[in-house]
Amino acid sequence: MEQLILLAGMALVAIGVFCDLVGSIGLLRFPNFFVRLHAATVGTIGGAAYPLLGAALMAAACDFLGSARWFVAAGSILTAVIIILTAPAGSHALARGAHRMGVPVEPKVCDLLEEDRGGRR
Amino acid sequence: MDVEQLVTAFITAALPIFLISASLYVVRLIKGPTIPDMILAVDCLSYDVSLFMALLAIYFRSPFLIVGAISLALWAYALDLYAAKWMEGRELGE
Repeated sequence: MEQLILLAGMALVAIGVFCDLVGSIGLLRFPNFFVRLHAATVGTIGGAAYPLLGAALMAAACDFLGSARWFVAAGSILTAVIIILTAPAGSHALARGAHRMGVPVEPKVCDLLEEDRGGRR
Repeated sequence: MDVEQLVTAFITAALPIFLISASLYVVRLIKGPTIPDMILAVDCLSYDVSLFMALLAIYFRSPFLIVGAISLALWAYALDLYAAKWMEGRELGE
């Protein structure tokens, strides 16, 4: 049973490593800020929140940590829940602020928010 | 191979890839043409570092490293909100 939990944790961390690499490459290659937000989501939820749950499972299966493994597991789960709750709210606030500030949307297909506000930001 | 060796080998294999992606985030942080790009890069970087600390807490067998991970995740959220407020109104409250 403990080996199964360990394997599940390792699989989550391995998926997280892949998502983190994909997210960082996307953040570097995408053309403008609002498209980069999409890559950042892959990097935060896929690359930090799920691997933290995996780290919690790994820590719970590590006998050599003694009773401190439950401390590490609880802290990892708490951090993952904090990231899942706060990362979307933070990035929405950032996107709204960036649009109000006048960050260029290039290349642009359509910007309905700008049209709704009568052409001004 | 017992559990301790397996976990140590796995974390040793995973950490370099995390370091590569963290360095790509740093490239975006330095290049970033606008301020929101830099803020986004710092966010991703701090979430990355919090995962890093959770893995290092297992790797170095020192469980108190996990306390730093919690505060890092909260700090990134506070940075988001303050930066968004400053970008909208050019002020941080009276």
